[in-house]
Amino acid sequence: MTRDWNQLAAVSIRDRRMKMAALTLFLVAVSAPIVLPYFWMVMIAFTARTGGADADTLWTACAILVPVTLGYSIAYASLSVRYRAITGAAALILATSLLWFFLGDDLHLNNFRFMINPNIVEDIRGAATAGGQFPWVWNAFGNSLILAGTQTLIVVTVSTLAAYYLSRFSFQGRATFLQSLLVLQAFPAITLVIPIFLIVYWVGLLNTLYAPILVITALELPFFIFIMKGFFDAVPWDIEMSAMTDGASRRQAFWMVVLPQVRVGMIAIGVFAFIKGWEEYVFVTGLRTGNSYWVMSTYLYYVREDVMGVDYGMVAAVSLLYVMPSLILYLFCQKYLTQMTIGGVKG
Amino acid sequence: MPKQGRYWISDTTLFLGPAILLLAVFFVAPIFVNIVVAFTDMSQSVRFEDFPTTRQFNKLGKVNEEALLGFELRGSFYRALALTGTFVFFTLFIFNLSFALILALTTTAVPERMGAIFRAIWLLPRMSPSIVYALLWLWVIDSSERGLFNQVIMAFGMEAMNLRLNHPMAVIVIANGLIGASLGMIIFTSAIRSIPDHLFYAARADGAGSLAIVRHVILPALRWPISYITIYQALALLVSFEYIFLIMGPSRSTMTMAMLSYTKSLAPEIGGGQYAYGAAIALILIVIGIIVALVMWRLANMKALLQQPRIEVR
Amino acid sequence: MATVELKNIRKAWATAMAVDGLDLTISDGEFVAILGPSGCGKSTTLFMLSGVYLPTSGDILFDGSRVNDVEARHRNVGIVFQSYALYPHMSALQNIMFPLRFQKVPDAETRAREMADLVQVGELLDRRPSELSGGQQQRIALARALVKRPNLLLLDEPLSNLDATLRLTMRAEIRRITHELGVTTILVTHDQLEATTMADRVICMNAGRIEQEGSAEDLYLRPRTLFVAGFIGSPPINLIEGKRPELKLSGIPVQSGLEDSVTIGIRPEMLKAADHGLPATVSYVEPMGRETLTTVDTVIGPLRMLEAVAVPRWRRDEQILLNFDAEDSMVFDTSGKRIDGANVRLLEIPGA
Repeated sequence: MTRDWNQLAAVSIRDRRMKMAALTLFLVAVSAPIVLPYFWMVMIAFTARTGGADADTLWTACAILVPVTLGYSIAYASLSVRYRAITGAAALILATSLLWFFLGDDLHLNNFRFMINPNIVEDIRGAATAGGQFPWVWNAFGNSLILAGTQTLIVVTVSTLAAYYLSRFSFQGRATFLQSLLVLQAFPAITLVIPIFLIVYWVGLLNTLYAPILVITALELPFFIFIMKGFFDAVPWDIEMSAMTDGASRRQAFWMVVLPQVRVGMIAIGVFAFIKGWEEYVFVTGLRTGNSYWVMSTYLYYVREDVMGVDYGMVAAVSLLYVMPSLILYLFCQKYLTQMTIGGVKG
Repeated sequence: MPKQGRYWISDTTLFLGPAILLLAVFFVAPIFVNIVVAFTDMSQSVRFEDFPTTRQFNKLGKVNEEALLGFELRGSFYRALALTGTFVFFTLFIFNLSFALILALTTTAVPERMGAIFRAIWLLPRMSPSIVYALLWLWVIDSSERGLFNQVIMAFGMEAMNLRLNHPMAVIVIANGLIGASLGMIIFTSAIRSIPDHLFYAARADGAGSLAIVRHVILPALRWPISYITIYQALALLVSFEYIFLIMGPSRSTMTMAMLSYTKSLAPEIGGGQYAYGAAIALILIVIGIIVALVMWRLANMKALLQQPRIEVR
Repeated sequence: MATVELKNIRKAWATAMAVDGLDLTISDGEFVAILGPSGCGKSTTLFMLSGVYLPTSGDILFDGSRVNDVEARHRNVGIVFQSYALYPHMSALQNIMFPLRFQKVPDAETRAREMADLVQVGELLDRRPSELSGGQQQRIALARALVKRPNLLLLDEPLSNLDATLRLTMRAEIRRITHELGVTTILVTHDQLEATTMADRVICMNAGRIEQEGSAEDLYLRPRTLFVAGFIGSPPINLIEGKRPELKLSGIPVQSGLEDSVTIGIRPEMLKAADHGLPATVSYVEPMGRETLTTVDTVIGPLRMLEAVAVPRWRRDEQILLNFDAEDSMVFDTSGKRIDGANVRLLEIPGA
């Protein structure tokens, strides 16, 4: 059988190019609608004045930002590590200068004045309105930090301890315990918001920050225990045994030898838990009867619904402040998060 | 050898104690409380006189005279049931499964770093706080000419639309789907990654094109992850109301069962404090969830998958 | 069937050069082995031939036409992998028939069954790969690679997952089948025995380059580099620092200045116990069945000596005298090249 290799080569090259072009086009087309609203938000935050944003300004900004970001993404995907930083800086400078050139007059930071004015709502709407009970944004920001941070600390500690025990100790009822945990892990926990409200009320934690912290921790616990157990299972027994033959107690072996091996897992669940706690809305509003404390989610909700729903610029600016910590954490810890899904994929 | 008794607390208490305590108080206990409360007449006063009573359940089937936000909810329960079914079915099959699979396939077919960027984009909504995500949706579907969606379709010469009013189901399906697709995408991607390279090489040398590789090499390896996502996401969607509430508010057009339970009891500023009624609906949801899980469990032999939490090609 | 040519092939990964300027011609129907340590670029070469990897530069020619851009599925190449890479959800028969699916062969099943008979797995065709032993999977993989009548058969360490006896059988089997079909075959292996017993020609690779090619005995008796001398032969060759008062070098060009830094190679079986020569103390005796390997300590360092005796002749700590023939020695320069015509002999040391 003889083959026309030249023709086959031509066919192959054509196929390959068409496949790559089609795939890239498809991915760009389906991903653009996801990214666009985020650009939209950023631009509104920096350009809108009272009464709304000018659509032309927004589209100009998107017309600048989208190609630059896309170009940078392609460069990022095809260049070596060394050039990525340079391209990144170039893209940033290009974007800023283009924005400045075309929209210089429209850009302003006025929408962010809520960050330095503790009584912004009162100033806008007057003390007599609902705005009167509104706190300074940093108050909510701080509460959110406390909520997410404490929750993360508890989740990481408790699930690490439990996962180690489940991975390494044999005890009576271990299988039953694991199975129950599995059921809880698949249990639609959000349906329990009413009985949880009642229990929190009976325990006397209603309207305190402790309530959402403990509740979110408990509901996430089964999932995180399984992930951590996956990480512990991957640590070879030998390493622990040799530590114990070297004279360490079981707990010292855990603390000094095993724990460092699962650091990645702890970081991964920590990031995940923090992002969860930072965004929590249902269990904050559900376990709070009045406005006893504010976190970022409730703050933004009321900003949007009640206080300055028409002031798009300021709503966008608050959103931007709120979304930043999550996104930064996500971008920087992405590699740990993907390891979590691979190392401990629950099926 | 250090003896067990040397420590002031035992290993079990130290390692497992905190987890058991938290789970017992805030996870297991609520399940039982929910069952009990569902059979009472508890409302705003957080007290009940009548137990056991099936009053809440009787109320469900009947025409409901109680007003909510001035609406009269007639037969709201059956309507909620139907809406829930529609919502779960379309979100699950269009986005959480199909689209997730397409994303996993396409992002693993392009060069690695490029695929990673697109996956990161798709995870963006999941990583953003729910309120922000909902806010973005509200701006996108704003019924005025200022809405992002309307601006885009008007650029193509179409009339501005009021999606919230005219296509509420599409809005909540897509809004939940864009988030839901990312979980499937991640799980399918890691399953595809765990297929040995040699299997792909062999298929290519055997003459298989891209589609044949998807069909004969990738899909057979994804059987377990697909079953897993189906069950897990069906359960999650069945009870999810956060995005629906934040985008649509207590609108009748999207009042699914989970929404009904929440708005009747705890929703901020509109919650009627009808705890028993909400708990009764929640109990129905839990029962439906367990039945769905068991049926699918049987169909897909989930037990094997869940006990061996690793994707692997035998 | 096809002749295969590689012209100045390079393959660069992000961090390293896997194949660095490879030139190779394989004629129609030839059985060639590429031999080298792991990481030497031999599998990369194989995957470039199959079309799974694209070369960074250089040309791959099939029958004189450039096929660099031809996708794997159009190249009509059969591969057998070390892991066999059988499709886990298909039966053995479906596995063998898989390549024919894309060629629209009318009597696919008959052809697949014929091929299965040729590799002697005719009765296992309904089983799944997980229900087959390593040797059986190996045969199925071979049938799958051959069923589409490939131009070129590529074998990537096909025997390394089998146990010793099976390996021996499969070595002969693969040789028989490829011979019967007359298919051009390239075998990649790190096992010198596999390469030398199966192939017409052995290509020894190291660090992305060809060190030497030739027949098995060429590589063994006339290695051109220190690497080949050291890699081929078991137990390995004795390597000695060349400038020693006990050794007399000859055949080295006088003005070259090489004398100071050469390395001497002597194969263990070339060392003999004699009544005069280098004094040595037996430090270790290993009976290896038909042969005995004796390790001795000498002033020029520890040496291995292989003798064709089943019962050890020496005991530990025994004093013996060693010698070898000058023509059995090899001399290598600092860059590792063998110096043609150079050899070394022992000087008698008075009072030893």
